[in-house]
Amino acid sequence: MNNLPTLYLGELMRLRKYNILSASLFVAILWVGVIYFSEIQELSTIFPLLVFIDATSMAILLIGATMFFEREEGALKTLFISPITRSEYIWAKVSAGISSNLLTLLIIYTYARFFRELDLSFLGLVGAVILISGFHSLVGFLLSYRSRTFTDLLMSMFIYFLALALPVVLDLLGMIESKFLSNLLYLLPTKAAQVLLVGTAGVGETWEIIFSAAYLLILGGILYWFVIKRFTDFAARESGA
Amino acid sequence: MFQVKDLSFRYPRNKQDTLRDLSFSINDGEIFGLLGPSGVGKSTTQKVMTKLLPDYRGEILFRNQDLKSYGRDFYQGIGVGFEMPVHFSKLTAQENLTFFKKLYRENADTDALLERVGLIKDKDKKVAEFSKGMKVRLNFVRALLNNPRVLFLDEPTMGLDPKNSRIIKDIIKEFRDQGGTVLLTTHLMNDVEELCDRVAFMANGQIEEIDTPKNLKLKYGARSLEIEYSENDQIQSASFNLDTFGRDPEFLQIIQNKTVLTIHSSETSLDDIFIRITGVETDE
Repeated sequence: MNNLPTLYLGELMRLRKYNILSASLFVAILWVGVIYFSEIQELSTIFPLLVFIDATSMAILLIGATMFFEREEGALKTLFISPITRSEYIWAKVSAGISSNLLTLLIIYTYARFFRELDLSFLGLVGAVILISGFHSLVGFLLSYRSRTFTDLLMSMFIYFLALALPVVLDLLGMIESKFLSNLLYLLPTKAAQVLLVGTAGVGETWEIIFSAAYLLILGGILYWFVIKRFTDFAARESGA
Repeated sequence: MFQVKDLSFRYPRNKQDTLRDLSFSINDGEIFGLLGPSGVGKSTTQKVMTKLLPDYRGEILFRNQDLKSYGRDFYQGIGVGFEMPVHFSKLTAQENLTFFKKLYRENADTDALLERVGLIKDKDKKVAEFSKGMKVRLNFVRALLNNPRVLFLDEPTMGLDPKNSRIIKDIIKEFRDQGGTVLLTTHLMNDVEELCDRVAFMANGQIEEIDTPKNLKLKYGARSLEIEYSENDQIQSASFNLDTFGRDPEFLQIIQNKTVLTIHSSETSLDDIFIRITGVETDE
């Protein structure tokens, strides 16, 4: 019996009822505000940066917030004794996170497309957001496993961004001059995410984009293995162990 | 239904086993009570038997098959009633039940259950607006929504008024009478006395005693007969050996010549047995 559709629809319903989706839409409107108040007409450079920040941070936050509520309300316990598999539970959350990120993308893309100049491949953006959001949703799982409170999660997220996302943003803004350091960033999944996003504007070599997509997929696969493996420990711990 | 052999379990951060060599069985169609003071391992036993804590030692057979060999389908046939609230508070009771029902192959008529436990009028209210007692009753409905064959219940009447407590107990008895099996964990000895076919008393991570409530009372009760009678306008009392009172001249003289006020065998209560076996008061 495949419970993934039921779990996915349940996730979407709870995202709505717990106002997590509203918060996500509010952030999307904030990005629209950023675009509105900026004087930049040609958005092809800044737009990938906005999507990068949203797809990475919101993906982690959505997983963290939903798991936090499930934990606080004891609903995790009743899910653990339901006939669902670990992978169904994880995929439902990842899919819901990706859906929310795609909705944000649609909102800010539509605004930017109609009111400013934007020359990006929409399909490329969709593909990139799916990969980046999916990967960071899995990061969200690992951070949530470790966090006892929502504040713990925010702290872990802050450290993650300081260590992995900030250098990429600095590089994107041309603030890292050393070629060696710049090349070293290719080891980071956040760099792969950035390459994919700027690639939708036709920036970067084809091999670089393919490498980044493959790198995120492979790292995502490894991460998924860890998330699944550690889920049993997490479930046992939440059950009192 | 369940055969538990030499079950031991240690929490990862503990130095000692929480469960130590537990052995017991739960028969088809019985209500089996697991009793003991807080922290003795009752909930841990239940969590191990519901596959929430997989790293146990020893053997648990469920329907003559190793529990570890069961996949997620194990949960299709069991229901677990938690003591604490386990529902999504910003969803209504109906939304919660509808969501969980879709995860199972078989569904109970939850409207009938809600009606029975007095929640039908509140089914479209958010769970956050429910009182503690309403949440307990909703937990109970959640445990039954997949028409389970086995029920694990943790303090199912805790926090309920006598009327609702009676309804829940009646449903549990009906479940048993229809062939269902129940593992009941509770501190409420009245519930145990009324519901359980057999009980196990736990102390220090071990099972100290298993038997029917009646046999335990016989075993731990003093075999005496207490009599109160009136003499010279005063109430007198006397105690006789239950095995020989029929031949005791003093007893015969009392019942022939005095006005007997009360007469009863001296039965010990499950509360007393609990304290004697576990060394702890039941309200701990």
